[in-house]
Amino acid sequence: MKSNILFGRVALGLYLVIFFGYLVGPLAVMGLSAFNSAEFPSIIPWQCFTYEWFSTLFHDERILKGVKYSFIVGFGTVILSVAIGLAASLVLTQVWEKWRSTYYTVIIAPILIPGVVLGISTLVFWKKVSDLLGGVDVLSNGIFLTILGQSTFIASYCMLVFVARLQRFDPGLTEAALDLGATHTQAFRKILLPFMRPAIASASVLAFLASFENYNTTTFTFGSYPTLTIQLAQMVRYGINPSISALAVIIVVITVFGALTVEVYRRRSKLKAGEIRQGKGLPAWLFGNTATILLVALSFALIATVYTAQTYSPAQCKADYKAARAAEVQAKIEALRAARAAAAAAAAANGEAPADGGTNAPATQGGTGGFGGVFAPTNLEDAAGQSNGADSGAAAPAAPFGNVFDPGNLEDAAGQNNGASSAPAPAAPASPFGSVFDPNNLENAAGQNGN
Amino acid sequence: MKKPMIFSEFFRNNGKLMGSILFFLVAFWIIFLILLPQLSMLDYSFRYNLPPAEVGGPKDVYTLRNYRFLVKGPEGASDAFNYVDLAVFVRTILAAMAVTIMNLILCYPLAYFLGQSKGTGFVRLLVVMLIVPYWINEILRAFALRIIFGDVGVINGLMMQLGLIDQPYDFINADIALYAGLGYAYILLMLFPMYNVIESLDRNQIEAARDMGASWIRIHRRVVIPHAKPGIASGMTMVFMLSAGALAAPQVLGGTSSLWFTQLVYQRFNNTLDWPLGAAYAIVLLVASITIVLTFMKIFKVNMGDIGK
Repeated sequence: MKSNILFGRVALGLYLVIFFGYLVGPLAVMGLSAFNSAEFPSIIPWQCFTYEWFSTLFHDERILKGVKYSFIVGFGTVILSVAIGLAASLVLTQVWEKWRSTYYTVIIAPILIPGVVLGISTLVFWKKVSDLLGGVDVLSNGIFLTILGQSTFIASYCMLVFVARLQRFDPGLTEAALDLGATHTQAFRKILLPFMRPAIASASVLAFLASFENYNTTTFTFGSYPTLTIQLAQMVRYGINPSISALAVIIVVITVFGALTVEVYRRRSKLKAGEIRQGKGLPAWLFGNTATILLVALSFALIATVYTAQTYSPAQCKADYKAARAAEVQAKIEALRAARAAAAAAAAANGEAPADGGTNAPATQGGTGGFGGVFAPTNLEDAAGQSNGADSGAAAPAAPFGNVFDPGNLEDAAGQNNGASSAPAPAAPASPFGSVFDPNNLENAAGQNGN
Repeated sequence: MKKPMIFSEFFRNNGKLMGSILFFLVAFWIIFLILLPQLSMLDYSFRYNLPPAEVGGPKDVYTLRNYRFLVKGPEGASDAFNYVDLAVFVRTILAAMAVTIMNLILCYPLAYFLGQSKGTGFVRLLVVMLIVPYWINEILRAFALRIIFGDVGVINGLMMQLGLIDQPYDFINADIALYAGLGYAYILLMLFPMYNVIESLDRNQIEAARDMGASWIRIHRRVVIPHAKPGIASGMTMVFMLSAGALAAPQVLGGTSSLWFTQLVYQRFNNTLDWPLGAAYAIVLLVASITIVLTFMKIFKVNMGDIGK
């Protein structure tokens, strides 16, 4: 029984890890790629830690314009869809019961209609209206169309939020106000609206977010006012650099910030109301404070990041990386040349016995096989002694770690080690793992074995 | 039982000003944003693609040309049917179904776990972690998967560094990236409806079933799933409709050789500028997906009113 429970727990834990890995993993990878200096967003191979993509982002005209249009459209959509949603939810409680389910079906339908269809229908309909009215400019304006198209379904979301809140409203309050002589407008403003305020706030946030991230509908209606999402889509399709990842990082940070703030606020009000009591042995204030602590920590991390970003420069690292790349390419060329020479030598010295004194070193190399001599002790010595040798193929860059991690060294090591022997050198490519994973080595090793 | 509501009563209940505002807003929404646009799109789909000068002229008559094109292809085509577009259509529908089922399987355990555990800090944290990715732009979410699955992506990079492969595997053209992306995009719309209904399930019912000796599978089949049915239906409907109508994920993650049906619609509108044809394709997509949803709702006996709760 006990092992059963344990098994269940492990399975649950594993499942949670997989699920949240699927959910958060891609975002984490994207976030990391914003700090990698590679031209194309990626994290493998890691090049240099950099903030440059953020500055690229802030200097991108298209992005800035997109943000501007997104905000305009967002505000318009919030106003229109919150108003419509509120009205629709109020009407829902009053519609004749026989009609209620039909009414509900109609106003819930926009959520289910594909966004593409909504975009097309909005575009087609308002074009027709504008044609009928003799080409009214406003009606074919991208911002106008986008607001209408988005509001069509965002109003349904808002309506759902309001319906949930309205279920807890006591209509007696409005009736009392009316009995006491308030007009309907007054009753609405003084009774219903204050009651609905939290729902209006959350519906507004929801509407704004939905509008901000909408693509399917907007892509048909934006006209000459591409919103941020449209710009992003175009950038993603035609050549990208990691500044998009940088944008994602900013959005994630804002989102987490908002979520934590809401959480802190919620905890606070609950704590005040004395609702939190359940914590197992832990005092309630600690539970209440987790979010606060996180929020403060996040703020500090942000400030620190922005501060270091002012002074940090990855230029050195980038130069190093470039040199390393050059060394790598050089090494590959050398390896190729060496392999050719080896083949020629093999052809020339066909009958020669392999147990010759001069070929001793290559023989041992052949013995180490796949490890390509990296682990031979002499290599290290050579590396230490000759790392700055003038004859090295690649200029060894001055790295902060004093060359120890410079891939060029390994190449030198291999190159110098074999330089003494008469047989051609299986030049090790410059990679962080030395030559361990390089297929050339294997080939060379095999070739030398054949010698 | 409420009395039948008629207009005069509506205005008496809400006052003249408030009543007219409410009425105007709702009427505007239903008529000008929902019904008329859909109808005009339907109308459009039965027309020829005419230059603006000829619209309303003698040539502007109704036709089945656009629907014919989807089924038969262009006039005088060598094939009997428009195999390319029809294949895309079938593939879109089937793949959307597969994505929906994949999401259901993936989400059900978590929805059950979240719904049945008391609201501790850990569960709150999980819920926040669920919501945060959903607030990220749809394009960005698809883009994130591209960084993972691309030729120089994380998976290929890792596998190449470990020496498992020496050529990058083309996840994009194999559509693996696309399916992962579609599942990823709408996974929360599956989770939250289920979570909501399972949360409302009384724990005692499960306890009782367990005390009576019901097996683990039986508890789910006879107690949890029947209770969660509206939520499951709601989630599946939304995920299916949205994946079938998705445009962002296929554009970012789709391979060069395989298209999503919405991409065809998009092409008709933006590349070949044949709006009536695009409208016809959109209508086909809309009708097909609604029919499928309604059929499944009939089979599993779910009401429309349960959706969106």
